[in-house]
Amino acid sequence: MVLTFVEIGISKEEALEALQVVRQECHGDATRTAGGSGATRKCTALELLEEEQAQGFIITFCSALDNILGGGVQLTKITEICGAPGVGKTQLCMQLAVDVQIPECFGGVAGEAVFIDTEGSFMVDRVVEIATACVRHCQLIAEAHQEEDNLKALETFSLESILSHIYYFRCRDYVELLAQVYLLPDFLSEHSKVRLVVVDGIAFPFRHDFEDLSLRTRLLNGLAQQLIIIANDHKSAVVLTNQMTTRIGQSQSTLVPALGESWGHAATVRLIFHWDNSQRLATLYKSPSQKESTIPYHITSHGFRDVQPPAVTQNAEDTEMNPRKRPRREEEK
Amino acid sequence: MAAKKLRRARLSEELCERLSRYQITTCQDFLCLSLLELMKVTGQSYYDVQKLLCKVSRACAPKMQTAYEMKLRKSVNPSSAFLSTTLHSLDKVLHGGVPCGSLTEITSPPGCGKTQFCIMVSVLATLPVSMGGLDGAVIYIDTESAFSAERLIEIAGSRFPTYFDSDEKLFCMTSSVHLYRELTCGAVLNRIMSLEEEIISKKVKLIIIDSVASVVRKEFDTKLQGNLAERSNFLARGASVLKYLAEEFSIPKSEMLGPVTAQFGSMGHPLGVLGGCGDLLGLEMINRWVFSSVFGLLPAPSGSTVVTIVLTCC
Repeated sequence: MVLTFVEIGISKEEALEALQVVRQECHGDATRTAGGSGATRKCTALELLEEEQAQGFIITFCSALDNILGGGVQLTKITEICGAPGVGKTQLCMQLAVDVQIPECFGGVAGEAVFIDTEGSFMVDRVVEIATACVRHCQLIAEAHQEEDNLKALETFSLESILSHIYYFRCRDYVELLAQVYLLPDFLSEHSKVRLVVVDGIAFPFRHDFEDLSLRTRLLNGLAQQLIIIANDHKSAVVLTNQMTTRIGQSQSTLVPALGESWGHAATVRLIFHWDNSQRLATLYKSPSQKESTIPYHITSHGFRDVQPPAVTQNAEDTEMNPRKRPRREEEK
Repeated sequence: MAAKKLRRARLSEELCERLSRYQITTCQDFLCLSLLELMKVTGQSYYDVQKLLCKVSRACAPKMQTAYEMKLRKSVNPSSAFLSTTLHSLDKVLHGGVPCGSLTEITSPPGCGKTQFCIMVSVLATLPVSMGGLDGAVIYIDTESAFSAERLIEIAGSRFPTYFDSDEKLFCMTSSVHLYRELTCGAVLNRIMSLEEEIISKKVKLIIIDSVASVVRKEFDTKLQGNLAERSNFLARGASVLKYLAEEFSIPKSEMLGPVTAQFGSMGHPLGVLGGCGDLLGLEMINRWVFSSVFGLLPAPSGSTVVTIVLTCC
């Protein structure tokens, strides 16, 4: 369009001005309504930097894992957790569903959580344990620092409130999952405090009963796109869990994340959980801003935690918070 | 839910007519199409198709519940949450016993006591609630012909001599254990699919499959191409149906996988030991118990630490 104007003999800038005037005259209302959401998708890197620095992270209570992630699970990004069965993926999801609700004065994002369960591995009793430990942890901090804000926040941060703000959906097959993800934007608009969407696990409904693999790839890509839009529009973190599958090589077989190569592009951050003898390890496999590293972690009765090195001296506060840790170390020896 | 007809999703008659001409009659058909295809078959604009998608999604999406509501519902009926195994240390570690409403997998090298355990649990399930049982019938799907009715009576008589004091009581118990001998994968899958009616009519409270690995190993040779995919397909389908049944009817289900495959770690190491088929294919079992000949039972369910308990089989 500019070129046709230039043919007349005016400069490109003058042509652009003319075009803009014409557009405004013709489109008027249409641009105003359609451009609403489009405008927020365009910004400079400086604006983005300010946003990123102000954004909170959802901590995992395992400081080593938080460190390699750069602070915790990031909002507005999709994080994928892959691992063999029993390694702790659902544990971390339940931990995050509790941690997202930590009040801001304790370093949390004070949000709510949506938990979409396709495998039926969500155990309420376990969430109760994790939430109780989290509340206790905050209470200890409040007692130590004795600040008004902390004590006030504790009044609303209780076991009942944590459980009431975890919105649970049980999807039995991939159609229910697709339907639920189509309805998520409306749900999130009604519940604007949601800062975490967990889909545990994304692989299970797609791994059987699918003869048409191209349909599967298309549906998965569609899901990934919708989740990215949800993550950005509602400023929430999206956490997905994936299974591992065996890739049969020529001489050996390796465990790789399921759902194929193209699914690997869906998540921004990829964590792989695996075993090394009896130690659970988490590897940051893919991240745009952090380097690849592996750390050990533990699953205690209180939830997802660091591995405590035996040489660390425990002060009174620590023993109160994690009374089970010492007995276990003795047992392991 | 997926097979729900579009008519029931409250779409207009003429729209349903139009869609049925393209063979789109269920919610599943509708939701699997891309936006462009939907626009073509419905003849409507982008925004209208979005609204239609929401309408159809609402018809098949699951209901929301908060974790708090789930907890309240559980606390109303605490005794029905678990089936106690009557092994106190095991029950303590498992926070109650075999959980109702979910799938439990038991794996071990041969000869450790899996079938014995299953027979014992069958007896327990038929006991009245006051004695810690489920007061219901048991469905026992046997693929190895390892179930012995005489052993069942022996266990019942020795374990609960005061309760099973008459032959009548024993016969009553044995008549509530329904045994199905299935010797092929296809037969097992068919049996699982048809369980829903049996559960309701016979008031079943426990389902045991002994064992999945033996029948799978017989039929699928992983060295042959394509068999691995078929095998995982079969297992995943079976597992998802079982999970649905477990949750719908709130019954504990014990699925047994057979001996450990040698390539996946040594037997002495509990956490390196993987079940016969489960880990190879990434099957998610909610509770996995590993029997080992040295250590006894090492449960590794989600949420608990791994603890060793010594069991004796007698």
